This record gives sequence, structure tokens and C-alpha cells, in this order.
Amino acid sequence: MKKITLVQLKEKHKGVILDIPQGAVLQNKLMSMGIYKGREVTKISYIGLKGPVAIKVGRSVMVLGYGMANKIIVETQ
Amino acid sequence: MIKKIFLAGNPNVGKSVIFSRLTGVQVISSNYAGTTIELMRGFLKIGEEEIEVIDLPGTYSFEPNSKSEEVAVALLKEQHKDEFIVINIVDSTNLERNLYLTLQLIEEGLPVLVALNMCDEAQHHGVAIDSQKLSQLLGVAVVPTCAITGLGIKTLLGEINQVKLISRPPVSHRQRWEEIGVIVGQAQQLSHRHHTLRELLEDASVRPFSGFFIAIFVTVACFAVVRFIGETLITRISDPIFFNLYQPLLNKLSLALGQESFIHHLLIGDLINGAIDFRQSLGLLTTAPYIEFAMVLPYIISFYFVLGLLEDIGILPRLAMLLDNILHRIGLHGFAIIPVLLGLGCNIPGILATRNLESKRERFIASTLISIGVPCVALQAMIVGLLGSFSGFYVAGVYLVLFVIWLVLGTILNYFMKGYSPELLMEIPPYRIPSLQTLLRKLFLRIKGFLIEAAPIVLLGVLLVNILLYLKLFDFFTGITAPLMHGLFGLPKEAVVALAMGFFRKDVAVGMLMPLALTIKQTFIAVVLLAVSFPCVATFFVFFKELGLKALLKAALVMISVAIITGGLLNLLMR
Repeated sequence: MKKITLVQLKEKHKGVILDIPQGAVLQNKLMSMGIYKGREVTKISYIGLKGPVAIKVGRSVMVLGYGMANKIIVETQ
Repeated sequence: MIKKIFLAGNPNVGKSVIFSRLTGVQVISSNYAGTTIELMRGFLKIGEEEIEVIDLPGTYSFEPNSKSEEVAVALLKEQHKDEFIVINIVDSTNLERNLYLTLQLIEEGLPVLVALNMCDEAQHHGVAIDSQKLSQLLGVAVVPTCAITGLGIKTLLGEINQVKLISRPPVSHRQRWEEIGVIVGQAQQLSHRHHTLRELLEDASVRPFSGFFIAIFVTVACFAVVRFIGETLITRISDPIFFNLYQPLLNKLSLALGQESFIHHLLIGDLINGAIDFRQSLGLLTTAPYIEFAMVLPYIISFYFVLGLLEDIGILPRLAMLLDNILHRIGLHGFAIIPVLLGLGCNIPGILATRNLESKRERFIASTLISIGVPCVALQAMIVGLLGSFSGFYVAGVYLVLFVIWLVLGTILNYFMKGYSPELLMEIPPYRIPSLQTLLRKLFLRIKGFLIEAAPIVLLGVLLVNILLYLKLFDFFTGITAPLMHGLFGLPKEAVVALAMGFFRKDVAVGMLMPLALTIKQTFIAVVLLAVSFPCVATFFVFFKELGLKALLKAALVMISVAIITGGLLNLLMR
């Protein structure tokens, strides 16, 4: 088990969210979109050069800006 | 008695399509989050009764996390509970995520009816939902619908008066997701499907290399298709109508009126080499309709057809992801590409769509850049018509100059304006095959909007200019501005009349340049000036309404500076 950020997580790999950036409004917003501590997500892609990250949450694809994705810590195999 | 129906649901689940179905009011729908930016209201007739239907902007939760959610929450909380119901529209292909809002609405004690929308698409995806089981688990009625075809809408209407209030204890966010897991586990069955071509394309378009490759291909293809459809409409339809059918009639009228009369001057304008010239005569019945119907309208049709396709397929959110990085450098984030693309049609919907951007700073930067560096399709059509006759090279040059202005001005605004750019956070919809019917309806709606808004202003503008020209009232004005026009921009003093006309309609303004017999350099500079100086008065007004007087004055200052600097530089640098 490794703890890495969403940016570092490899494409097509799964990870369980351990930590989410601070801020009540942002956390609520992410929560309502299904992104919360304990949730398993699958990385789809990272655009590179500090661009956004796409992940699959349940059946939806979500795109998160680099700053946000870099603060989301996941646990993976 | 029920007096109001609120339509609530996650973004991009088809609320607007259901709204159109219920009320008959045609609204624009697309395949991305945030198409509806304001509350839409309409009326549903059941027998003798009229029920007001309100389409709320899409939201993921019943908590005021953003401006549009605040509005929705506040509105629902102030209603009397026995006088309204909420139809919660749920995307069946994505039941789990949608139920979060559903449970919140039920926990709030609101009278909820669930429409399980896009049920046909769910089947294609191998998703089977037992709506009776779901209804049992939720405690509210659930009706499967397919808004695009109209399936299930009648059943939905039948349930409207049967909605009962139930109580469900509020739970924590985490518990709610756990409950949803249990509900979805019981009511939904997934059958495994192999990866389809569509899924492969979906994946490829959000990956670094393939994504950019697809984006560039799509952009180039779009330009080519817009150009092809526009030109075909002009050469095959509008030009033959004007030259073969309309011109003979006008020739007779011209003879009957006599060249020297004031009426002839107003209606027909000046004869060029003894004949009516649709591009140069500048009459109410000649140049005015020719510009609008034969030069601009064909491109309006082709542009909005292609934009509608892009919107409904779901390419725009993917473009937003790819461009996020670059747009961050000019103080925006990826989503800003959507207002910009809408602005290429008309700046007004572009500026309105900046409501989806979170901060006031972002809205100011995006709106200012749209007003300055995004030419509307009417202006673009005229640029192609005027400069294209010299060479396509100059047309490309205009876009290049505008792009450089974008980057430079964006970087400057980002550097000097206080605040920060929020991060991108959005959902990417699946690719969908657009329905031709929806596409054509949307196209029709936009063309109608253009005709209603543009035609009267064009006629009025040409009328006004003609009267002023006839009375030689411009001479004083052109006299004072001559040093600026000639010294700084290298333009003849009469060009100022066209530039001033740009404040009313950009397309007519370019039309007024045509009789001036400008050199290619002068034409280029005048066209760029028209693009980057003030937007038309309608855009100005919307800018003021959306961002306030202070922001407008700031933006106007930027516009004047950009126009003077760009025009002066081009005059110095071009040979």
C-alpha cells in the first residue's frame, strides 16, 4: 500500500481517497459529486504540465484542476 | 392545489428538455453542465388549470455551494409546501451520483416526484433500473422517462397531483452515500459490456497526446465545415436570389424614383457606375438587406449548426479540460472556453455564460476578453467577405492579431488584477449522438433570435447614416477626428463614420467600409479596429447588467487603449 497524490496515481489504476484539500465549501462540493474520504476512484488521465486530472467516480468522469488533484491523497496497491 | 412545479436535478440530466416538453416553451439544451444559466419559467396546462413550471439551474446538492445553487435553495425554501412539487430529474445512466440530491430533497421534507430520465440511453449502457423497487426504497413515486422522444411524460403528468409528503430523517453526508450504495445495489443491475468505440474515443479525447490531436482535428474540421456550408448557401441560394430575382425589381424602382430624389438616396442609395451595387450603394433596400441576408445570415446558419453539433455531442467540456492549463495563465480556467465559443456566435450569450465562472475577477477577465478579442459571427462573415476577396492570408492575419491580443491582454489583466483563479472542477458527459430534431430546433431558435434582434437595428442604422450623409452632418465630426484617423491609423477621415457605426452593428460597419475604396492595409487596420474597439451597444448593455458600471468603465478604458495601441502598431509595422 502506497500513499500518493491523484496526480501521481498511474492511469487506469484505482485508489481509495485518504485526504481531501481543506475548505468547507470545496469539501461539500466534492462530497456532493461523490468525491470524499474512503471513496474508490480510477485515474483516467493527467494532461501534464500542471494541467488537470480526470478520474472516474462511480459511473461519472470528473475533471479536477492540478492544484486540487495534487492535494488529494489516495492509497493504492 | 398545486400551483408550481420546480424542476431540479444534477447538471446535464435533461431538465431543459423536460421543461420544453411540459410547457412548450423552446429553450436551448446542450450536452454539458450549465447550459441553463437563469431560472426559466413557463406554464403547463392541465385541463383548465395552469401550473407554473420553473426550471432550476443544475446542482449536485441542496446546499448553497455556489451562486446558482443559493438561488435554487432559497427559492424552494420560501414556498408553501402544499402549493408546489419538485420534479427531481435523474440521469438513469448515473443513478448513484444523482440520488445524492434526491435524498437531500426528500430529507428536506419537500414534495418530490422522481423522473428517471434518459432511460433509453441507460439500456444502451447495460444499466437496468427497477423503478418500482426504487420507488419503494425512496418512498416517492418514480417515473421512467425519455425526454427527447417524449416517452413517459404522460405518466409523469398523471403523478403530479398524487405527490405525498413523506418524512425521512436527515443524515450526515457519509451516511447518505452509504444509503445510496444500498439503494443502488437493490434497484440497479449492470450487465457487463465490452468497450465500445465510443468509450475508446471518450478516453482518447482526455489524454495528453491523442486529446490534443483530436481537438486540433475537430477545430480545423469545424472551420472548414462552417466555411463550406456558408459559402454554399451564398453562392447557391442567397446570391442568385438577390442578383436574379431582386435586382431587376430594384432597377425598375430606381428608374421610377429618379436618381436625384431623396427617397432614391434612402432606399436605393448611390448608383455605382450607373448600376445598383449591393455591396456599395448603401440603401435601405439594397446594401442593408444584402449584408444581413446574403453575407451574414448564411454564416449564422452554418456557425450555429456546427456549434449545436459540438454542444450536443459533448466535445466542449473535453476542450475545457485540454485548455485549462493555458487559460490559467490568463487568469481563467478551462471552463471559460465555453463562453468564448458562444461569443464567437454573438458576444451576448458569451458574456451571459460567464455566470458559470466562480469569481467576479474571472468573469471580468473573460467578459473583457470576449468583448475585445472574440469577433461575433456577423463580423467574421463580413471580414471573410471583405478581406477574403483580397486573399485568405489577410483573413488569417486578423485571427492571428486577435489571438496575440488575447494572450497579451489576458496576461496583463491576470498580473494586475487582485484575486486568484479558482480550480477547474467539472463533470465530463459521455459522448452522445445528437438528435437531428433537437439540433434543428435549436438552430431555428438561434436564427430567429438573430433575425428579431439584428434586422431592425440594421435598417435603423442604415437609415440614420443615410440621412446624416445626405444632410452632410458627418463632415464636422470627420473633420475633428481626421488627425487621429489619418495620423495614427493611416485611414481616410471618412472611415470614422464606419467605426462609429460599429457601435450599432459590426456587420453594417464593415459594409460601410466597402464604398471607401481602401487599400488592403487600410482595410486590414479598419477591420481589426472594428473588432477590438467597443463591442456593439447590445453587448455593452449586457456587460453593464452583468458586471456593473464600474467594471464596464474599466473595460471601456481597456478597449480604448487596446484599439489605439493595436491600430497604431499595425499602421507602423505593416507595409
